Amino acid sequence: MLRKILLIIFGVMLILSLFAGCRPREAGPIKIGAELPLTGDYAYEGQGMLKSIQLLVDQTNAAGGLLGRKVELLVEDDAGDPGQASQVAQKLVDAGVIAVIGAYNSSATEPASVIYNQAGILHITPSSTATRLTEKGFKRFFRVCFLDDRQGLFAAKFMKEVLGAQKIGILHDNSTYAQGLAEHTKRYAEELGLNVAFYDAINPADKDFTPILTRIGGAGLDAIYFTGYHAQGGLLLKQTGDLGLKLQWVMGNACNNPELIQIAGVENAAGTYVTTEPLPKDVNVPEAKKYVEDFKARYGEEPASVWWMMAAEAFNVIRYAIEQTKSTDPAVLAEFLHQAKNINGITGPILGWDEKGDRLGTIHVAYVINEQGEFILHPQQPSP
Amino acid sequence: MQQLLQQLINGITIGSFYALVALGYTMVYGVLKMINFAHGGLFMWGAYIGLSGLSFLIARLGHGGPVIMAPVAVIVMMTIALFGVLIERVAYRPLRSAGRLAPVISALGAAFILESLARNLYGASWKTYPPGLVPTGRIVLLENVRISGMQVLVLAVSFLLMAALYLFVYRTRIGTAMRAVSLDHEVSRLMGIDVDRIIATVFLIGPGLGGLAGMIVGLYYGSFDFTLGWVFGLKAFISAILGGIGNIPGAMLGGMILGIIETLGAGYVSPQWKDVIAYVILILILIFRPTGLLGERVAEKL
Repeated sequence: MLRKILLIIFGVMLILSLFAGCRPREAGPIKIGAELPLTGDYAYEGQGMLKSIQLLVDQTNAAGGLLGRKVELLVEDDAGDPGQASQVAQKLVDAGVIAVIGAYNSSATEPASVIYNQAGILHITPSSTATRLTEKGFKRFFRVCFLDDRQGLFAAKFMKEVLGAQKIGILHDNSTYAQGLAEHTKRYAEELGLNVAFYDAINPADKDFTPILTRIGGAGLDAIYFTGYHAQGGLLLKQTGDLGLKLQWVMGNACNNPELIQIAGVENAAGTYVTTEPLPKDVNVPEAKKYVEDFKARYGEEPASVWWMMAAEAFNVIRYAIEQTKSTDPAVLAEFLHQAKNINGITGPILGWDEKGDRLGTIHVAYVINEQGEFILHPQQPSP
Repeated sequence: MQQLLQQLINGITIGSFYALVALGYTMVYGVLKMINFAHGGLFMWGAYIGLSGLSFLIARLGHGGPVIMAPVAVIVMMTIALFGVLIERVAYRPLRSAGRLAPVISALGAAFILESLARNLYGASWKTYPPGLVPTGRIVLLENVRISGMQVLVLAVSFLLMAALYLFVYRTRIGTAMRAVSLDHEVSRLMGIDVDRIIATVFLIGPGLGGLAGMIVGLYYGSFDFTLGWVFGLKAFISAILGGIGNIPGAMLGGMILGIIETLGAGYVSPQWKDVIAYVILILILIFRPTGLLGERVAEKL
């Protein structure tokens, strides 16, 4: 008798569970993930990127959400570490997000992108520029930043045309991003007829770079391009000054934030060039002006870094795709983005994406750090 | 040639940091035959306490100058020394008769606790020391050989501290008692030495020096984060072994040698290969002198 009752209960539950699957999915909030380095070397960027995304999420919800549903932001800290990135990526997938913004650095984005791809989630990185990330054939992976091979070309042109350099050096830190940018820059520099007389890497765990700086100082270079991150970039500038060396530093777009200058000291940072996407204050579209104003109003500070703005852009793109398609299905959203043309972005017009998911066009510019420790758009830019 | 001289100056500066931190490892090993892995963490806390002290004084006085470094240095040494004594009392003393493995695990635990505390209390981002505290000038020795004011200061402070410690251990009564304890706890006790107090003294001096080294590293490099203890702690530990663990001049020598080998490796081969070069040489030295450069082969106790 007992067995019979249990069997009936079990059967009823089985049938009910079939209906559970048919429950309309639109009931809850739309879950969007953010995987960022909130601790570790890149915490400065990660924290600012989170502020940017949170700002847009709250604005969206205050305006009634998307498709009549609230947006729920799920935040995970990958600390910029590839191992932790895989773990938290799985966590976001298990939590049922439809799209993820992240990660900051290419070394963390690479393993995470595999997990998001397997789960079929829309994945947009605001800031990982290593070329090989989009070489894997992932259909739902996009970037709102630009490729390193274009930055490498820009940097080589800048050193040749604007600085008039003949003999240059390139220094990276063996990370996915920095090594990629260094290789592209080397290739283009040699194509442009520059002599790459120095090419080496530092170990980012080190604090003391005086040995390699002493060697660079003795190499007689016209310019030296550092493609790593700002914590080490700041130390390199500081120790160049401490050693009394006169080096013409040019740094890549992981050194485009004020913390670089804080670590280096203003007197050591002044005169350094940085190749980067334009800083938020220098983007001349209404969407950018509004973003900068709203950010200042809410947090009482300027959005200081390109990547904070790129993070906002990533959310903006997801929001736009959901609004246009009236869908939250990652497959539909990804298909839409592959076809999309001329979106009014926060970082300027988005021309569209190629079949790999790379943003079309390029917007790199060169900045110089002035005596007051500010990033100033350099009056001379290389030919496009 | 000039570049080689400059690289030697770079190497001696790095080496003096390793040496300062190595003293703490070697002193504790001398009296307890135990590796105090928490030492790197204490060193890192020195950098944080130094930063807090300097920021506090600058905020109070409204200006900063080299003068305020002295009181802050004293506070750092006292605070970290207290940390050291506390860790010894809580984490090591109860385990003193528990064999060799338990205290090592306890020390690793203390290291993780110190690191997590720093991360949670101060945050994980990079911290920068206030500018304008340290001398910025430099002395031009030859056309391309320069030594910065800060390097001179670091070298002077390191050598003074090491000399003072050496004299303390070899010329005072407490120092003599320490050396006695390092040879044999039981016999020392029979000779009327309060072994627990001597060990506590060691945990006062070692961490105190380590804390000061942390503050100097913070001032010298200007920026650091909570992982500082691992990087320098590991290198300093290796310096102590290289010089002959338990031997104070050995720690200084080991630190200098490691610093110079690393610098030459990074400067003449590549920073990517410097650790490989440094450790190949280290392994070779240890194969031929297993007790380290200045370590003596002491007859095993019966």
